[in-house]
Amino acid sequence: MAGIEVSGLARAFGDVHAVREATFTVEPGHVAGLIGPNGAGKTTLLLMLATLLRPDAGTVRVAGFDAVAEPREVRARMGWMPDLLGSWSTLTVREALVASARLYGRPTGAAAARAAELIDLVDLGELADRPTRVLSRGQKQRLSLARALVHDPEVLLLDEPASGLDPVARASLRTLVRRLAGEGRTILVSSHVLAELEEMADQAVYLSGGVTAAADDIARAGRTARDWRVRSLDPARLRAALDAAGWGTASRIDNLGAIVPLASEEDAAQLLAHLVASGVPVSSFAPAVGDLEHVFLDLSRNGEDRA
Amino acid sequence: MTGFLQGLWLVVTIDLRQRTRTVAWYVLLGVFVLLVLAVTVLLVFATDALFAGGGGVFSTIVFFVLLLGTLVSPALSANAINGERDSGTLATTQVTLVSTTQIVLGKWLAAWITALAFLAAAVPFLAFAVALGEVPAATIVVATLVTAVELGVVAAIGVGLSGVLTRPLFSVAVTYLVVAALSIGTLIAFGLGGAAVQSEVRATNRSVDWAAVERDGVPPGEEAPCLPSETYTYPTPRFDYVWGFLAANPYVVVADAAPGSFDDQGNPNDVFGWIATGVRQAQHAPELEIEYDECAAWTPSGSIAPDDDWERPQQVYDRSVPSWFVGLGIHLLLAAGALAWAVQRTRTPAQRLARGSRIA
Repeated sequence: MAGIEVSGLARAFGDVHAVREATFTVEPGHVAGLIGPNGAGKTTLLLMLATLLRPDAGTVRVAGFDAVAEPREVRARMGWMPDLLGSWSTLTVREALVASARLYGRPTGAAAARAAELIDLVDLGELADRPTRVLSRGQKQRLSLARALVHDPEVLLLDEPASGLDPVARASLRTLVRRLAGEGRTILVSSHVLAELEEMADQAVYLSGGVTAAADDIARAGRTARDWRVRSLDPARLRAALDAAGWGTASRIDNLGAIVPLASEEDAAQLLAHLVASGVPVSSFAPAVGDLEHVFLDLSRNGEDRA
Repeated sequence: MTGFLQGLWLVVTIDLRQRTRTVAWYVLLGVFVLLVLAVTVLLVFATDALFAGGGGVFSTIVFFVLLLGTLVSPALSANAINGERDSGTLATTQVTLVSTTQIVLGKWLAAWITALAFLAAAVPFLAFAVALGEVPAATIVVATLVTAVELGVVAAIGVGLSGVLTRPLFSVAVTYLVVAALSIGTLIAFGLGGAAVQSEVRATNRSVDWAAVERDGVPPGEEAPCLPSETYTYPTPRFDYVWGFLAANPYVVVADAAPGSFDDQGNPNDVFGWIATGVRQAQHAPELEIEYDECAAWTPSGSIAPDDDWERPQQVYDRSVPSWFVGLGIHLLLAAGALAWAVQRTRTPAQRLARGSRIA
């Protein structure tokens, strides 16, 4: 049973087609990144997954239940972290979490225990008994994550979870998300910080203009030419070696080294062998952009070509 | 959620806990108590209550609570749902296991309880009025209960509109308009309606020829000389056709519901009685044929017999039908309708969204 199963999903607001055709599956134990430009329909898609919005067409199954026909079953198993920061401003962090747990039907004692656990987990211990209105954006974001986890859900929907977080909090978010997936949960994370997703997600859902990219489009985009960054202890020799191998005109040299467009991984291996053989002291040889970003940029470019 | 009521109560407590933590709320309650205190002191002097009993004081305080309650309640209730949506906490509640019905009803109960706090704050003053004496127990119970229900009706209309309209400012304003329509609009409709539908009264006047009596005198036992009868007509408003408007007025509902209490002369003891009598008087069609025959009232002793068969307020009250349950019924229907509409518009997964609104 897939954690999230979306097929042929569409939703329009008046004459604005926010989501036109979304189809994808995320299996338990996996973290999927939901990637798309601003206005691609990411939040609309997540709202339909969160049982808040009724689709015009298509089906949404979360944790094995239909989000439209059985929203209650879905809600009991799904945690949603919205992109809009909202909290009961006069309640304390602890009270807000206890209230949320109670809304999920947990008895008072269990709710208090769960709240204490989550406060530790998202590191809000010092602020636990302060009203939520004094929290900073990043702290509210952590509270929002804790609230999404309050009923120990099987499926997690995180809408821009990393925005507003400092680097330390980002790192612990990453670790937490991987750990939750390791426990067999299904996680869908939307973000436009692709580097962030790169380290968290093990699969990606590309959404552009309300349409999810098909698997073979993604595979094709992954194979297209991409930039590789080469660094050397001796930039002059690197340049000479690139010139000698015929890459001099295509590559761009800057003070960090060189950026070389290469068509495939085979080309990359060949170039690296050549550089090393020529005695260039190579200190770094890696794709200039992450896999997700590469595919994303390529798909967006193709999308514009088609349009 | 194990039970419907448990979930409902949870929504109520979360809402109330937020309300009671704002300073503004206590300031408002304090101002209210000061106003009621001032009104009570003035009333005691104005109605000579120390001797005449507390009926007038009691009924006026109840009306004052109803007035302030209906003035404050829209502001406290009509942003319950769209305000939560604006602050981003509605959607996070809706993805939990409480249903939309529980959320809307919970918000309404919380708003109602908040309004009832004003009634509770007035209890010492009501008790003081009762201590002045002459307030029947039935009046105390009925007037307080019906006022509490009316506050609940205003809270329900406010919460309902906050679920139907997107912008809090707009729903608060519309709730005030509804309250104004019920409190003042019904009076205007009654007054204008009655004045617009007029009937002609034919009055026939036959009077004693006093000039002849002066000149000739009338021997004892004889008929008085009479002038030929004069007939004239004038228009009169027909309030009996439009009195139903008044039935929908919350003040009339409270006044009419309270059991009438009258003194020895048949005059009402409290404001409730005067209003109820006035409304019930309006039920009766005016007499369209009036005959005034002074000659018939001529007594052999040469004077005119006094006409003492005018109706006392108590008689009017007793021979008319009470209307408060009709008005209260209309109010309860309005309240239930507003809440049902809000549930329908807030239900998730949402089918339609207001233009330009986000549901999260």
